[in-house]
Amino acid sequence: MKNRSLIFVIVVTVMSILVTQCAPKPVTEATSPTTAANTPTTEATTSPEVSRNAIFVYTHPSDLPNLDPASSYSNDSVVTSNCYETLTFYNPPGSADILSPQLATRWESNVDATEWTFYLREGVTFQDGTLFNAEAVKYSILKTKEIGVGAAYIWDPVTDIEVVDEYTVKFKLSYAAPLDLIASTGYGAWIYSPQTYEQHATEWFNEGNCAGTGPYMIESYERGSRLVMTRFENYWGGWQAGQFEKIIFESNQDPMIAQQKIESGDADFTYLIPADNIANIKANRQDIVVYTNPSFQNLVGLLNTKKPPLDNVLVRQALSYSFPYEQFIQGVMGERATQARGVVPKGMWGHGDDLFQYSYDLDKAKDLLTQAGFPNGGFKLVMTYSTGDLDEQQLGEIWKAELAKLGIELDVQGMTWEAQWDLSKSDPLKAQDIFCMYWWPDYISPYSFLFGMFHSEESILFNLDYYSNPQYDQLIDAGNVMAGTDRKQATEMFIQAQQILLDDAVSLFFYDLSNTHLARSDVKGFVDNPAYPHVVFVYKLSR
Amino acid sequence: MRWFEYLTRRLLWAILVIISVSIITFTVARVIPSDPAAAWVGSHPTREQIARARIELGLDRPLSVQYYYYARNLLRGDFGTSIHSHQPIANDIRTYLPATMELVLAAMFIAIVIGIPLGVLSGAKKGSFLDHLTRLISIAGVSMPTFWLGLLLQLFFFGLLGVLPIGARLSNEVALNSPVDKITGFYLFDSAVTGNWVAFKDVLLHLILPSFTLSTYPIGLVIRMTRSSMVEILNENYILAARVAGIPERTVLFVLALKNAIIPTITVLGLSFVYSLTGAILVEVIFSWAGLGKYTTNAILSIDFPVIVTVTLVITIFYVLINLFLDLIQAAVDPRVSLQ
Repeated sequence: MKNRSLIFVIVVTVMSILVTQCAPKPVTEATSPTTAANTPTTEATTSPEVSRNAIFVYTHPSDLPNLDPASSYSNDSVVTSNCYETLTFYNPPGSADILSPQLATRWESNVDATEWTFYLREGVTFQDGTLFNAEAVKYSILKTKEIGVGAAYIWDPVTDIEVVDEYTVKFKLSYAAPLDLIASTGYGAWIYSPQTYEQHATEWFNEGNCAGTGPYMIESYERGSRLVMTRFENYWGGWQAGQFEKIIFESNQDPMIAQQKIESGDADFTYLIPADNIANIKANRQDIVVYTNPSFQNLVGLLNTKKPPLDNVLVRQALSYSFPYEQFIQGVMGERATQARGVVPKGMWGHGDDLFQYSYDLDKAKDLLTQAGFPNGGFKLVMTYSTGDLDEQQLGEIWKAELAKLGIELDVQGMTWEAQWDLSKSDPLKAQDIFCMYWWPDYISPYSFLFGMFHSEESILFNLDYYSNPQYDQLIDAGNVMAGTDRKQATEMFIQAQQILLDDAVSLFFYDLSNTHLARSDVKGFVDNPAYPHVVFVYKLSR
Repeated sequence: MRWFEYLTRRLLWAILVIISVSIITFTVARVIPSDPAAAWVGSHPTREQIARARIELGLDRPLSVQYYYYARNLLRGDFGTSIHSHQPIANDIRTYLPATMELVLAAMFIAIVIGIPLGVLSGAKKGSFLDHLTRLISIAGVSMPTFWLGLLLQLFFFGLLGVLPIGARLSNEVALNSPVDKITGFYLFDSAVTGNWVAFKDVLLHLILPSFTLSTYPIGLVIRMTRSSMVEILNENYILAARVAGIPERTVLFVLALKNAIIPTITVLGLSFVYSLTGAILVEVIFSWAGLGKYTTNAILSIDFPVIVTVTLVITIFYVLINLFLDLIQAAVDPRVSLQ
C-alpha cells in the first residue's frame, strides 16, 4: 500500500507541475515592463509592449558567427544588412539599373576605371550619433582592408583614398576595377562609425552591438539563439506607418522546428525547408508564400585540361554531351535548380541568354570520342566532390552510369573541401580529372566567375581546370576595365569569353541553384535579391 | 595523510591525462588535411591573404613550437580563436557552457527523481508487474535514440497539444519584454535571483522537453543500477532484522536499504553526467538550445578545428574531475574502498 501511495504522490506532483505551468499563452502577451537594468549592452530602449504584428521574426538555419562589420563574412549578413549600409546597392534581377544609390548619391570614374569619385549622401548619421562623411568612408574601407580577413580582398585594387571634401571621396586603384560594383558587396563593404570602431574591439560587436547608418540597431543578443533589432529612429530614410518596429532573428538548425514555427505563425520568414515539405506547403497552406528564385551560385565540373585524355578538347566536349542535365534537374533537384547557360548565372549582368548550351546526347558524345581516337572509351576518370553534399554525390552516380555506356569508367570520390583542393593544387598530372564545386561571386561581376576559375595562373589557386588561353585572358581583363565605364560593352566581352569556354569545353556547367524562401502571406514587400543571399531588408517590408 | 597522498597522486594522473589529450587532439587537428589559413581568410581569398594568415596564425612554425604556444595560452585561459567566427573561443565557452550545464543538471535531476524511486520499488517488488514495467522503462530509456524521442515530444507537446514550446531557452515575447539578466548564464537561477518570475516560468517551460529527452538514458541506467543493488541488499540479514523489528517498510527501503544500495548509482550518475555533456549535442540541435552542443555541431560542420579541440578538452577535464570526485566520494562513503 505504501508503495502505491508513493507512486501516487509522484504522479500527482508531475501532473500538477505540468498543469500549472503549461497553460498556453497568447502570442502578443506582454507581461512585465522592461527595466533599464534588464536591457543588455546597447543604449536602445525597449518599449514594454510591441504588438506581434510590428515584429518581423526570421527563423534562420544557422548561427551568426561574426557581427564585426570589418570581418563578417558569413550568414551574419542577414543582420549586418539591416544595420549597416554600403555606398551603392545592387538591384534585384529585372530592375532597370544594375545599381542604385545608397550612401553615395552618384559616382564616376576615369576612362581607365582606375580612379573613382563617390559623392556622398548628406544628413546621414551613424547610430552612435556621429556624422557620416568622407572621412568615415575612408576609415571603414582602409580598416577593413587592414584587418584583411573575410571579404576584404574585394578592395585589393585600392591603393589610396582621398577625402576631397566633406561629402566627396576619391579612390585610386592600382589596376582597373568596377569599384561601384565592389562598393555594393554584401560583405566587406559596410561603412561603419570610425569613433565606435576605434573604441571597441571585435568582441564588443559580437556581444550584440552595431554602429552603422542602417535602419535597425541591435537591442539584445543571446549568442547562438536570438538577436533582437529595433528601429534606429534617426534613420535618414525616415519611417512610415506599417513598417516593422522590431526584428527577431532566431537560430534554428533543425528544419522541422523552422517549418513548425512558420506554420504556426510564430515566425514570419525562413528558408532551407526540405523540398518535399515545400511541395506540401504550396499545395495546402494559403497563409505561407513560397518564393523560388535563381541565386547567383552555380555548380560546375571543372575538367583537368592538362591531363590526358581530357587535354583533348574533343573528349571534353564528349563529356559535356554525356550528362543528362534535364533529367537530373527534374528528377533530383526539382525547383532547386535550372540548367546553367554559360558560367554566369541567370539574372546576373553578363549572363548570355543566347549562349550555346550543351544537352544530353550520347550519340554525339560517341562521335566526338571516335574522332578523338576513343571509339569505345576505355579510360578511367576520377571525379571529386565535397563529402556530405548529397546533390553532388547523386550527380556523380548518375553521370557514372551514363559514362559507362560510353565505355568510360568514372570513379566518384567524396573528399573534404580541403583535401579536394589540396589534391588539385598539386601536380595537374596527378590531380583529379573532374573537380565539382560551387562558385558564387564575391562582388557581383561576371569577372569573379571568369577570372577565378579560368584565368591563367602561375601557381594554382582556383583555376582548378588549369586552363590557359591568352586570348581569353586578354578578353576578360579588358572586359573588367570596361565593367567600370561601359557595362554594355563589358557584357558583350564577357559573353564572348563564355563562348570560348564553351567551345573549349573547359568545364561542365551543371546548374544554377535556386533559392527558396518561405514567408507568411501577410508580410508584404519581400523581393529576393540574390546579390545578398537570404538577406531580408526589413525596412522595405510591412504587414 | 593517506588522504593527502591519494589526492595528490590522483591529481597528478588527472593532469597527465589532460596534457595527453591536449597533445593528441592538437596533433590530430593539425595533421588532418586542411588549410586553416585558407579557411581563416574566407572562401575566395587571394594568395597574399593566405600567406599572410599563415604567418599570423603561426602555421609556418614547426608543430612542436605551435603546441608550445598553444599550451602556454591554454594555461592563461586562452583557448585560441575560432577560424570560422574569428572570435575568442574562451568567450564562446563562457557563453555556451552554462546553457549546457543547466540542461544537463536538469536532466540529472529528473533522472534522480524518477530513476531512484522506480529502481527502489522495482527492486523491492521483484517479479511484480511494477518491476516488469520499470524494467521496460529502463531498457527503453537506455536504447531510445534521443533525436527520435525529441522529435516525438515536440510533435506531441507543441504540434498537437500546444502546451510546451518547441525549442530555444526563452520565448520571443519574454526575451523582448522581460529579458533575463545574465549573471551566471543559468537562466533558471538568474531569473529567480532577480525575481523575474515571468522569465523563470518561461525558462522552466522551455527546459522540460529537452531535459526530459536528455534524461532518458541516465534514467534507464539509474533504474537498473538501483534495482540490482536493492535486490542484493534486501536479502541481507540486517534488512530482515529491521523488518522483523517492525520498522515501517518505507524506512526499510528508502533509508536502510537505499543508503547502502546508492553507491553504485552515484558512480553511474557521475558518469552519465559527463556522458550527457556529449549527449546534449543532439538534443541541443533538435531543441535549438544555444549551448556547447549546438556550438560544437556548427564547429564540426565548418571544420573549425580550434573549437573542436577546445570542446574535446573541456569535456575531458570534466570527465577527469568527475571521476576523481566520484572516487573520493566512494572512499568517503564506503570504508572498504581502498585508497591505495
